[in-house]
Formats: sequence, structure tokens, C-alpha cells
Amino acid sequence: MEIRVSEDVSAVGGGVLPLLEVRDISKHFGAIQALSGVSLEIRPGEIHGLVGANGAGKSTLVKTLAGLHQPDAGAVLLDGQPLTIKNPQHAGELGLEFIHQELNLVPKFTGRQNMTLGLSPTRGPGLMDWAKMKAQTDQVARRLDITFSLDVPVEKLSVAERWLVSIGRALVRKARLIAMDEPTASLSGAEADRLFRIIRELAATDVAILYVSHRLDEITALCSRVTVFKDGRNVAAFDRFSMLKADIIRAIVGGEMAIAAAPKPQTTQGVPILEVRGLRREPAVHDVTFEVRAGEVLGLAGLVGAGRTEVARLLFGADKAQGGEMILDGKPYHPRGTHDAVRAGIFLVPEERRSQGLILRESVAFNVALPSWRLMQISPLIPIVSKRKGVRLAASAVESLSIKTESVQTPVAKLSGGNQQKVVMGKWLGRMTRVLILDEPTRGVDVGARAEIHRIIRELADKGIAVIVISSEFQELTDCNRVLVMVDGKIVGELTSGAISEEAILHQCYSHQAAESGR
Amino acid sequence: MIGTPVANTGPRRDPLVGLLAFVGKYGTIVVLLAMIVGFSLAAPQFFPTTSNATNVLSQLALTAIVAGGLTLVLVVGEFDLSIGYQASLAGVLVVGLMANQELPAGAAIAIVLAVAVVIGIVNGLVITKLGVNSMIATLGTGTIIVGVNYWYANGIPIALIGAKADFTEVALGHAILGIPNPIVFMVVILAGLWVLLNQTSIGQHMQAVGGNREAATLSGIRSDRTIIAAFVVAAIFAGVAGMLLASRIGSGQINAGDGYMLDAFAAVFLGSAALRDGQFHIVGTLIGVLTVSVGFNGLAILGEPTFIQFLFKGVMLILAVALSTVARRYARR
Repeated sequence: MEIRVSEDVSAVGGGVLPLLEVRDISKHFGAIQALSGVSLEIRPGEIHGLVGANGAGKSTLVKTLAGLHQPDAGAVLLDGQPLTIKNPQHAGELGLEFIHQELNLVPKFTGRQNMTLGLSPTRGPGLMDWAKMKAQTDQVARRLDITFSLDVPVEKLSVAERWLVSIGRALVRKARLIAMDEPTASLSGAEADRLFRIIRELAATDVAILYVSHRLDEITALCSRVTVFKDGRNVAAFDRFSMLKADIIRAIVGGEMAIAAAPKPQTTQGVPILEVRGLRREPAVHDVTFEVRAGEVLGLAGLVGAGRTEVARLLFGADKAQGGEMILDGKPYHPRGTHDAVRAGIFLVPEERRSQGLILRESVAFNVALPSWRLMQISPLIPIVSKRKGVRLAASAVESLSIKTESVQTPVAKLSGGNQQKVVMGKWLGRMTRVLILDEPTRGVDVGARAEIHRIIRELADKGIAVIVISSEFQELTDCNRVLVMVDGKIVGELTSGAISEEAILHQCYSHQAAESGR
Repeated sequence: MIGTPVANTGPRRDPLVGLLAFVGKYGTIVVLLAMIVGFSLAAPQFFPTTSNATNVLSQLALTAIVAGGLTLVLVVGEFDLSIGYQASLAGVLVVGLMANQELPAGAAIAIVLAVAVVIGIVNGLVITKLGVNSMIATLGTGTIIVGVNYWYANGIPIALIGAKADFTEVALGHAILGIPNPIVFMVVILAGLWVLLNQTSIGQHMQAVGGNREAATLSGIRSDRTIIAAFVVAAIFAGVAGMLLASRIGSGQINAGDGYMLDAFAAVFLGSAALRDGQFHIVGTLIGVLTVSVGFNGLAILGEPTFIQFLFKGVMLILAVALSTVARRYARR
């Protein structure tokens, strides 16, 4: 969907040669078109914002610029010259530096060592030239106004200080463009302000900044221009004078958002099974209150980092809550571990099926039976298990979830993504389920399996199970009975069946940030 | 058996790939059989005899018992470097309690087993609750155990004297069908461990925790308790082996059981190369113990000097594990 471009961007600041220009870049992964013909230009000294919903293509573009992906079509121009960015080393040589949320610092190394990593100054026969390292890093430290010690291991520094070390590293490497991914995600308000000041000072020295963030208030305060991605296309661009938060949201969401009168919640069709009040676990979950009823599919929406997975882990007892209460079937529920949750009938299908859901080298039968071995003892007092029961349980899961596998003895590593996901779901099938939480149930699953998983979710709800679905693909949540929207560790909105749409969810995700950004 | 990966399911395969897969799976067993045949041909009057077989088996029985317990610790994905010292302490303690504290044998054995359980729990707690790497944790507890051992025994061997000498019957007797008792102990214990690991819920949990601890926890399995249980089992059987050793040599000696640690690790890793894809399992452990012991015994019968026997053991360990790893890697291609 094409959105009107507020102003002809090329007219603004015309005459300055762009430092970096991206022309019509496309990139696909398998059947997924991640980028379809995006264009973007960044001038020296510009702070350029890049926004878009989850999966809009922001990180694919950043990774392409970093030399981690090669585009299928289109061109990248540096100083007007087309070139191929071969790999991350090459990107570094070209003066393109990337700072990811995880920061990629060596924890045990000092600030100075991290800043000069990969180009450690040496003298003579490969001896470290500490004096030169100090000189190089002192210069950068002055530029960044660094007051903390650069001689302690970075693991001892705060997140904000580590950001400065990362920026310092980019400067030591003579960066001309620094791309930053969600720099303020774990910073306090004051720390973020300090970072903004430094970013502005850097820009004043002609370093270009590509600022990727979900936080529109920061974008509007900091950036001289912003590009909006949606579904792998750039759908809008705004400059400092036309940059209005409402317009940006409209572009991200894609289309005019009818602010309908909040539809009345449907009369409760089921009894509440699980009630959550004021649930808290810092830093991700601040205050979460909701209930989930028998027979409903409740969607939990939010942008990356909103705290949805963390809430799921609290419900499942994988982490301990720091505050708040949970009530299951009218009785207090305070799981001390996952075993308590499983005993109570609350199950989780985790986000990462390969690393969290499955034991890959083991068979389908072993994995399906994983939570249930105790129930397969030949007697409650004798811990000998009946393997036949395990095989039967797995066979019934294979049957009812139509898992495609040679046999129940096949290692799950040999199954396709969709079938692996069904095995993870199958673990809970034989159990008395009260609440089933599915975290990104269709991630990396092909279209056919996705439809089947959706059908299974609905069938489970029809059996009276309360199902909670977490998804970053909001389209997927439109089938839910209700959707809760999370922003920064809080539930900020609720949509009921008639009002659920991708646009409505996105709108809530972005328009509720204002209240949070002052923290 | 549930949980056993199907080794090869490809419809058509290159004969070389088939051979490599075979070597990966059966390599250790082939080597064991080849040694038995080879030594039998080289020393027909001495090697393939009942008395030599009985001798080898009772020699290896104690190592096998320690290695069996250790297998569970490796199955859950941890290490236990303290088992040798545990065995030494058990030997000193069981003899000392009888000789110094004048306790009857049954009470002494019960106390030693209780101490073993405590050591296992401490090992498990330090690793799971304090989050200390198991290598470091058990190196620490192992050193503490050595200290306790010196403190109790003052560093002096304790001898079984007088009526207490009956205790030697435990290891030297032939209670069933004239079979030396250690062999009986070994068979019963390994069979029990096999059942524990493969046929019980706790055994399935151990395999799950070793396979993917996070997935196990997210399946409602109490991973911490499962790991602690593995250390307790290992400690109990290190203790049993230590007591049998004290019974065999008729005294409690501070360092008597220390060597079991390396031998047990060698056996378990050697065994992991057999039958299953690099996974630790009881049958494999037994094969591992047999391979090392038969090699030692055969070389000794052939009159090879001691240093050759050790060279053999080291080379054997690296070769068997490397061979099957490499073979499996190529077989997958």
C-alpha cells in the first residue's frame, strides 16, 4: 500500500552528495520476500530513522548493508559509486559500522581492548602497543565525553556505558556511518538523553547515523529524516518538518486507522480459568493484569521486546514473579517451577522449538512423552515406565495432529519445521490441559502447516482449554477471540473479536508509547 | 527402544558410507573381538582360559561399577572428577569404622553409603544451585574428600585385623556358583543401572536433561533434582567399589581408589563410541571397561612391559573415540 510521501525528500538539503544510497534492493529467503525494491539515502551528518513493524524488513536491510546478506537485485552506492559489500570485514573497511542490541563486546576485555578489537596496535614482533592503544582510545573517549574508566572489563560497565564503548569502537575504526539497532531498549531516560546528545554531536562531525527503533518519540526528537518500511517496501519518508507521529503510525500500520468507538467486550462466554493481577518481573514485565477464559483463544500482541515471552514464562513457572498474583480456577496459583505449572495443567509451547521445545537427537516418541514419563509408570509407586504407553501416546499425537514422520521412532531432527512444532504441541496433548500458551507457534513454519496449527488451536479451545497465542505476525492474531496489546511490559489495550485487525493492533502498539517513553 | 536414533534410514547408500557407518557404530566392539581372537592365537595356553577370563572380569569389576555410576553423570551432561577420591574415602572409612570404632560390618557399610549419598547431594547442589561448572565443583569436593580422608586416617593405612578380617570375604568370596563376588556385584549393579537409565521415569528424565536441559525444564522436568540424583547414584557406586577394594586388599588405604577416576572416564567415553551416536550408555560403558582390561591383560600375558600397557590404553582411548567420530561424520555426508 503506497502512502503519500509528505514531501519530495530529494528537494530537502539537495546538493549534498549522499554518503550511502540504497537503490531498489530486493531480497528473498525461500518463499518469503523480505525486501521488495527498497530505496533509501543517507547523507553525511544525517541522523536517519528507520521504522516499521516486526518483519517489515528493517533488519534485512541492515544486514545487507553489513555484508551479511547479498541482495537479489538493486544496488548499494557509497559516495555515488556502486559497490558490492562482500562481508562484514569489507563493510568495516568501507566505514560502515553496526551496533546491535546485544552489542557484541568481549565481556572480559576492557573498554580499550574492545574499542581496538581486531586492529590491536602492535609494535616490534607482535607485542601489544599499549601506549598507542591508550592514545587512540583516549582520543575517542574525549569525543564521546566518556568519564568512566576504560580500563575495567566491560562486563562491569552499565548498558549505557557499553553503548558508548561500542560507539567508540566504531569511531576507532573510522566509521562514516553507524547503524544502531534499538539503542535505548535497555536504557533509563537519563541514559537515553545522554546517548542522544552524543549521537547529535557525532552527526555534527559528519558521521551519518542509521537509527532503527520502534520508539517513535525518539525518532521524531532525534532524526532529521525517517523512512518507514512495511512488508519489505519503503512506504513513506518524512523530513524534520513533516515528521508527525500520527503520520508515521499511519504509514507503519498501512492505511487510515478508523478510531472506532471501543467495541464493548463480548459477554463472557466462558468462565475465567486464569486470572493475572499486577504481575511483575523487572525489567521486562511491569504490571500485567488480564484473565483468560475457558474456550477462548487469547492473543498477546506486541513489538519485539514488549515483554510477551516473559509473561508466558511467568505463567509457566519458568521464571519467578517479583510481584502480583495469579489465580487458577479460583485458587491462588504461584508456581515454584515448571513442574508446578505442569501439575496445574498450564503448559507452554516455547518460542524456540529447536533449542527450547525439543531434544533433537531423540525420537518423536521420546519427545512427545517428555513431560509425561511419570504418568507412564507401571504403578505410581514403581518408577519403571511402560515404553509401550509412550509409543501409544506418541502414535495418538501423530494421528490427531497429522504429524508427518516415518515412524514415532524417527529422531525429531529429521522432521520439517512444521512437524517439529506439532511434536512440541503434542507433548501436552495427552494431558489434562487448563491453559495452553503458544509462543510464536508458526514461526518458520510453511503455509500449509501454519493453517493446520491454527485449526488445531481452535479445536483445543473448543474443548474448553484456554489458549494464549503470542505472535509477532499480527495477521495471525485476527482469528483470536480477544487480543491484548503489550507495550514496554504493560498491557495497554484490548481488542475483541469484531475489532481485531492487523492495523488496529499496530496502531495500539505505537500510539501507546508516548506514555511510556518518559520512564 | 525409545530414544535410540535410527542410525541409517537412507534408501540407497554408497558401500563406503555403509562401512563407515558400521565402523562408527561397532568399531569398539570389533576392536574388542579382534583383541580376544588375537591374544587367543598368540597365547593359546594362557589367554583363552576360564581362569584367565574370571581373573580379568574380577579385576575389571570394580572399575565397571564406578564407571556405571559415572555414566549417569555424563548422561545428564555433567562431569564428576571426585569419584576416585570418593572410592578411596569409602575404603578407608569402612575399614576404619570397623577397626577403630569397633562397629559391625553392616553398620560400617550403612554409614559409608550414607556418606556417599551426602557427597552426591553436595556435588549436585553445588553444581545446580550455585551454578559452579561441574568440572571445578567436583575437583573442589574431590580435594575436600582427600582432606577428610587424611583427617580421619592420619594418612596411615588401616588394617583389618582379627575377626574383622572376615570382611575380606565380601570381595574374595564366591557366594554364587563359585563366581567371584565382585563379578556378581558388577553384573547386578550394571543391570540395575541399565534398568534405571532405560526403563524408569527418572532415567528418561536424565536422558532428557542431558539432551537439552532447557527443553527438559520447559517440559516440567525438575532438571536440578535429576542432576542431583545422577551424582548421588555415582557417589553410591563409587562408595561400593571403594568398599569392595578395601575388602579385597584387606585394608583401608588413602589413595587406593584414586585411579578409578581415569579408568572410569576412559571406559565411559570408549563406550560412548559404541552402538550409539556418541551417547553415554551402560552397555557401552561395559564394552569400554572390557576393551581396556582385555588389552591390559593380553599384553601382560604376552610379557609386554608395563609402559607398553599404558601406551596401549592411551592410544586405544583416543583412537576408538576419534575413529567412530570421524566415521560417523563421513557416514552422514
